[in-house]
Amino acid sequence: MSESQKAQKTAEAAEVSNFTISEEELAAAMERERGELEKTWARPTGVWGWLTDTDHKAIALRYIVTAFIFFVLGGLEAALMRIQLARPNNHFLSPDQYNQIFTVHGTTMMFLFAVPIMTALGIYLVPLMIGARDVAFPRVNLFGYYVYLIGGILLYAAFFLNTGPDAGWFAYVPLSSAYSPGKRVDIWAQMITFTELSALAGAVVIIGSVFKMRAPGMSINRLPLFVWAQLITSFMIIFAMPSVMLASGLLASDRLIDTHFFNPAEGGDPILYQHLFWFFGHPEVYIIFIPGLGFISPIIVAFARRKIFGYTAMVLSLISTGFIGFGLWVHHMFATPIPQMGQSFFTAASMVISIPTGVQIFCWIATLWGSRLNLKTPLLFVLGFFWVFVLGGLTGVMLASVPLDLQIHDTFFVVAHLHYVLIGGAVFPLFGAFYYWFPKWTGRLLSERAGRLNFWLMFIGFNLVFFPMHQLGLNGMPRRVYTYLPETGWSTLNLIASIGAFILASGVLVFIINVVWAYRAGMVAGDNPWAAESLEWAVSSPPPNFNFHNIPVVQGRYPLWEGIENAPVVRGLSTTKREALVTSVMDAQPELRFEIPGPSIWPLMVALSAAVMFIVGIFTPWAILTGAILAGIALTCWFFGDPNYENHTARETGKKSPTISPVSRPPELQPKEI
Amino acid sequence: MSTREVIDVSELPHHEFDTYDPVWWGNNFLLAIETSMFAILVATYFYLRQNFALWPPPVAQLTATLKPLPELGYGTANTILLVVSCIPMVLTDLSARRGDRRWSQIGLLIAVAVGFTALVLRSFEYAAVYFRWDSNAYGSVVWFLLGMHMLHLAVLTTEAVLLTIWVFTREYDMKHRVDIVTLAVYWYWVVGIWVLIYAVVYFTPRLG
Repeated sequence: MSESQKAQKTAEAAEVSNFTISEEELAAAMERERGELEKTWARPTGVWGWLTDTDHKAIALRYIVTAFIFFVLGGLEAALMRIQLARPNNHFLSPDQYNQIFTVHGTTMMFLFAVPIMTALGIYLVPLMIGARDVAFPRVNLFGYYVYLIGGILLYAAFFLNTGPDAGWFAYVPLSSAYSPGKRVDIWAQMITFTELSALAGAVVIIGSVFKMRAPGMSINRLPLFVWAQLITSFMIIFAMPSVMLASGLLASDRLIDTHFFNPAEGGDPILYQHLFWFFGHPEVYIIFIPGLGFISPIIVAFARRKIFGYTAMVLSLISTGFIGFGLWVHHMFATPIPQMGQSFFTAASMVISIPTGVQIFCWIATLWGSRLNLKTPLLFVLGFFWVFVLGGLTGVMLASVPLDLQIHDTFFVVAHLHYVLIGGAVFPLFGAFYYWFPKWTGRLLSERAGRLNFWLMFIGFNLVFFPMHQLGLNGMPRRVYTYLPETGWSTLNLIASIGAFILASGVLVFIINVVWAYRAGMVAGDNPWAAESLEWAVSSPPPNFNFHNIPVVQGRYPLWEGIENAPVVRGLSTTKREALVTSVMDAQPELRFEIPGPSIWPLMVALSAAVMFIVGIFTPWAILTGAILAGIALTCWFFGDPNYENHTARETGKKSPTISPVSRPPELQPKEI
Repeated sequence: MSTREVIDVSELPHHEFDTYDPVWWGNNFLLAIETSMFAILVATYFYLRQNFALWPPPVAQLTATLKPLPELGYGTANTILLVVSCIPMVLTDLSARRGDRRWSQIGLLIAVAVGFTALVLRSFEYAAVYFRWDSNAYGSVVWFLLGMHMLHLAVLTTEAVLLTIWVFTREYDMKHRVDIVTLAVYWYWVVGIWVLIYAVVYFTPRLG
């Protein structure tokens, strides 16, 4: 731009800024702008639209529905196992069916439900909470969903064809290598590859968005705790998931092209597999659990109606949990020959990690203490979390001790512990989150009465299923064995657990009915039914496609409680292009007007190429090469094939958008000179 | 009359280099993922080494070779090529920053040529390891290390080819200048991580 042009532009800008308009003119101008934004951010329709839509809210809702279907399927598998174990010497399931079912149950719950649904809530809520119009990489986001979907379909297609994996959700070698002919374990290994790819894509999308897409003023010390939790989880995914991709990749290559990573006859090492698996597997627990902590803070803040106690302590606790979480993996392997010095280290780390979690629980209690609680369903689930999770945490500290661990290794005590931690730490907060954010997603409130019923059925059912398992484990009942003899004396407790399973399941059923009912006939929620504080409640329910008409300037940690209506707003983003504001990493100073890519078919094509690579790759190594070439073609088209992007067809209307008068920039938020 | 403070961002640029651009960050996160992958793979290499009295293990058929160390020729040539290629890549990087299309074109062509040469050299490196991937765990892990790095070389070369086509046939706009700078980051990473893998594969067996 030449000097004279620049001067002219500045003059024009000055003219606009001194120009005052009446209320009516302003309202009309805003209405026109809104119409333009709606047109620019319109979501494609029809089948093609469904395949190409990159809107983060649409993708997230699909993720949530898909993951919930897998949750129900995993739950049905659990119910089958509980029927089988309800009485001794039962022949409801054959041993082989039982093996497949517990493997598919664990795999589903960990890989197809827990991780994706946590990412999904992040994908929906993070852009809204940070005041962004979409995520930083919407197409990568769409790609992540498709690889996840393909992985899930692969697992269940194989399962229904009686080729479900049957070597446990961690597929230890040599059971999963030398002793598993057929394709069952290959299905498992490739499904892992798909879901981890998806998790990594989701993590990059979330970190990218949190780093660069925040509304001006939302410096890192004003980041909502939910977003902190998602950010830390995403970093953990980046460092943990490659390990399991290697584990499953090396396992698949041992099985398919005769490498010897885990074959002791040729210098390979089965224990290496356990290290690779658990170096991911333990952080995985925190990858599932930290987002759950992220749900709890906003729920407590909204229903206790006060600011969180100890924001800084909360953030530091989350970060230290993220770090210490990587130092625990060997406590899953105490029954293998690990040097005693190493065992002591991992025992210590396993005990240390309870400290940051304890800090957070005390901060929450301090927030709740003496406040006038608004005891709605989301808060009920959070209170349920306290009970269940603390019990699970306590048995965790017990299991960190090597002698005790050796005694109850592979018994139902461990089953009880892990379900207390994961259902307590993740599923209870998740259901609270469903009740809390459902009005934002659909515009309607879930029924409170059904919600209470749902909570109590789940809470009572859960404790009935899993509490007796502690005792069963201490009595010596092993995991993953399809039946037991009446002489063992385990019958009564097993029967109680099985009854509990059906109460728990009926709680989930109440939830599903509640959702279906509320979606059609629930009370209309309005923008902010809980009088909550964070930015997602500043937009309509459900939010418009572009999220924010005027991106707000954030002036504190609780924007809606600090007068967002009068806070400055960002002006000057295009309404005719998908423009988003990019801000600096630490201080969220405006830096760029960045055009976000729109709908595209290529993410699906890349995902399908990956499907060729990994699924057909089970049968012939040549598919890897074919898939790689297809992926290369798809990526080339992704790179070149979209003339609609980046200035080419931007619909410039030629009308100058009105600037609200008078223009003044808060000094600390001056756009940076570049 | 309505009064509200605003921040006017209409003068902000669309693209800027390095930390400004989300794509630059996205690329760095990808590299973080791949760095942890290689770190775990190198750990695997040393973990498996514990199972062997001699590393690499003796070749039964060759009576003369008790310790068949990987031959240095192709690997060293490849390392030198890649390290030296950083010089034109730095120049390409700088040319994209100052908007010098001619230099970007030349630099990217060099990058494509280097990429393909490195891929060819790599394919000879497998033969310099005395084992196949299915001979023993040593062969498996070395082939896997070389192969995973080759995959990155292939992706890097493809990316360079695409950008070359772009700068010759399409607009030399800021978006793609940022892409060139991002490609350079990826390039330095591929070279840097290779120097480490080269040291692990070719020299740690020679140390003891």
